[in-house]
Amino acid sequence: MKNKYIVTMNRVLLMNRCCYSVIRYNFVVNHQILIPKKPLQNVIIRSAHDQKEKIRSTLNYMIALGVMTVGLSYAAVPLYRIFCQAYSYGGTTGQIEANQAVSNMKAIKDRPIKVRFNADTASSMQWNFKPQQPDITVLPGETALAFYTAVNPTDKAVTGISTYNVIPFEAGQYFNKIQCFCFEEQQLNPHEQVDMPVFFYIDPEYIEDPKMEFIDEIVLSYTFFEAKEGMKLPVPSYVKQ
Amino acid sequence: MSTAMTFGQKQFIPTPPDKGSFPLDHEGICKKTMVRYMKCLINNNSNNSLCRDEAKEYLACRMENNLMAKEDWNNLGFQENKEER
Repeated sequence: MKNKYIVTMNRVLLMNRCCYSVIRYNFVVNHQILIPKKPLQNVIIRSAHDQKEKIRSTLNYMIALGVMTVGLSYAAVPLYRIFCQAYSYGGTTGQIEANQAVSNMKAIKDRPIKVRFNADTASSMQWNFKPQQPDITVLPGETALAFYTAVNPTDKAVTGISTYNVIPFEAGQYFNKIQCFCFEEQQLNPHEQVDMPVFFYIDPEYIEDPKMEFIDEIVLSYTFFEAKEGMKLPVPSYVKQ
Repeated sequence: MSTAMTFGQKQFIPTPPDKGSFPLDHEGICKKTMVRYMKCLINNNSNNSLCRDEAKEYLACRMENNLMAKEDWNNLGFQENKEER
């Protein structure tokens, strides 16, 4: 039993060495051990050329597989992004026509949501910035208007730029702004007061999200920073300057 | 906003508004309509559904005075036929 095992192993080893020598030196070594003990009549003995071809083609397949894997991993990034946009997977919004969505939207009457407004300024920003209304009760699918007021008490014109935040985090994906005053520089002349409206709606799909079942209050918080020359604020990359 | 604690937590990504930014109303042209809207809100306990007409007036004022791009009312969520409400 053990003898047979040793013989088989030797045969395998020699076959490997044979393959190597076929590739490198292009000849076949016909060792005694390699010739089967009981050769069948219709066994086709491969020539050195065929053996080499077979090994080379296998090698080609392996290299092609490797290259394909590397290529796929590079292509996966934009492909995944396109897939997400097409199917709105994971909250990414696609290039859906916003007008269509808004005009077909219906207000859902049995789920009023209270949106509270918060206003902040950076510590070096001298504007007085506050919301005109502390909160507003809105229905999902219904567009709403809200106002903030900003006053520039200084004697110089001050330019500000704002960003916003929605709390709780999961509600942020349903909060759609049609128009507002954020991300673009707004200049206030000295001693000027101005009203800043925010026109928004809450996506009707809000009611279908199980995580939102007990959330009836959303806080919308705006923060104003001062825009100085050469100051780089963390503005999102898609905003055109 | 980004402290050591927030690493690994989900990050809020602000999205740009659909129709861009409102130009500032420096002269206060639409202030009257705004005050009317605010009064309506105060009277109705900050209920948006009851004050939509005033909101529509404010946006109309903005559009007329070149403070907002002219939009179809449907695209802003103000359906024309009353049966929808």
